[in-house]
Amino acid sequence: MSAEILKVSGLATSYGKIEALKGVDLRVESGKVTCLLGPNGAGKTTLMMTIAGILQARRGSILLEGKQLVGLSPANIVTQGVALVPENRLVFPQMSVRENLLAGAYQRNDKVGIAGDIERMYTRFPRLRERSEQLAGTLSGGEQQMLAVARALMSRPRLLLMDEPSLGLAPMVVADIFRIISELNRDGTSIFLVEQNAHMALQVAHHFYLMEQGKVTFDGTPGELAEDEVIQRAYLGTSRRSDP
Amino acid sequence: MDYLDFIDTIQSIADGVLFGATYALLGIGFTLIFGVMHKINLSYAAASIGAAYASLLILAGFKVPPAFVFVLSALCGGVIGGLVYWIGFKFIPLNNPLATLMSTLGLLLLIDEIVVHTTQGVPLAYPVLFSDVIIPAGPFNLRGDLIFVFMLGCICMVLLLLLIYRTRLGIATRAVSQQPVASALCGISTTRVNILTFVITGVLGGIAGAMIGAAIGMLSPLLALPLTVKGLIVCVIGGLGSIPGAILAGLLVGGLENLFQFWRGVSERDLYIMLLLFIFLVFRPGGLFATAPGRD
Repeated sequence: MSAEILKVSGLATSYGKIEALKGVDLRVESGKVTCLLGPNGAGKTTLMMTIAGILQARRGSILLEGKQLVGLSPANIVTQGVALVPENRLVFPQMSVRENLLAGAYQRNDKVGIAGDIERMYTRFPRLRERSEQLAGTLSGGEQQMLAVARALMSRPRLLLMDEPSLGLAPMVVADIFRIISELNRDGTSIFLVEQNAHMALQVAHHFYLMEQGKVTFDGTPGELAEDEVIQRAYLGTSRRSDP
Repeated sequence: MDYLDFIDTIQSIADGVLFGATYALLGIGFTLIFGVMHKINLSYAAASIGAAYASLLILAGFKVPPAFVFVLSALCGGVIGGLVYWIGFKFIPLNNPLATLMSTLGLLLLIDEIVVHTTQGVPLAYPVLFSDVIIPAGPFNLRGDLIFVFMLGCICMVLLLLLIYRTRLGIATRAVSQQPVASALCGISTTRVNILTFVITGVLGGIAGAMIGAAIGMLSPLLALPLTVKGLIVCVIGGLGSIPGAILAGLLVGGLENLFQFWRGVSERDLYIMLLLFIFLVFRPGGLFATAPGRD
């Protein structure tokens, strides 16, 4: 057992009377990519939003290297070193690419460091450099996803949460995104990824969880995942295709 | 139309445009709060007049030069803006669209009543600056007091635009207005941005109130309601949430209002402004600067 950066236990979150998370337990290992699979409406986004502090947990705990995150404000959680790349990207459409990145660094005060990090983002995502002064709303879906990732990285997170980064993107762009995920991970960022594209996730993730109706129903390694018959049928297709 | 009529027509438009700077500031106030919170603050114009009244009271109590009235009004406006947030928004469920409409309508009436009771409803003279200056421009004469009001309005707008587009606070404000969830994820505190928006628009409103007082030479509680309507018209014509739109629409409404007053008299002029609003609502409901929707 290696060290865990995030430990979620007994977590419950509700929308009014509807309980979306019914006691979720999982852990994200430090320096690894952990992937959460699950059908629509399983509560994956709710879990991400609860960890990020946008939604309030009703019960349970979220520990970031032992520190309780439940009850902290979203801003406070960002300063603790957690950043979420939200579902549907949610870039600031009427702000330039550069301003989006600056907004991502809102919690920081080191002007020089921020400028350096923007430069680093431009090196990692060359398209963003080209579009630096363009309004984010005019970018393509893939470019917006890159921007959303770069914006999250601007807070220098230790744990990066990503909610369906491949949603609605062309296969080539999806491959790009996953290449970036493994690069980020190699550079030392722990990643907790929500994904429906199990084929792609299998290539980067070290550990898998499956969530259904607000509960974790599978917990295992990529090998165990690939062997699980139910998951195979639901997420990988009954016959194994050779192309990803 | 003979030459003199033509000159008078242009003159009245020019006077109106100069006075329109006050409408522009009021429109910006409405539009900024709408942009950030997606709420209409109906008490805004009344609060602006209230700030101008408060500055008169302070001016009467202390011996300070009349020019200070603008600074005082701005400060009072900021304080009242913060109070409006505290009373009308902080404890009100924001997901109910009607709740804050009601609370700010209540605040409009409350501020109006406070003004009526402290002044017995009697209009008060407001210090007018540069009223004896007339700047001749060809066949036209530009009134010094209106020029002063206009310049002051322009300075405020430039400072505001710099604040919104060139500072960290501006980025936070725009982030919250464009994508509240993502801004929270960036660590921007929505509540803090909301409060600051109310204080900043309050300062603008205080200056607008003082400008209105200085332009017409007096303050009356009867100003609050028509100014509320004008401010709302300006921000609808400009496009809800658009600052450049509010500026342009303010000057446009100011100019046209004075033109209609010159042509048809004071009793009919607002009729035509309403008609203008109607035309916009039918043919260009997004206003002059309808913001382009993002891809998502």
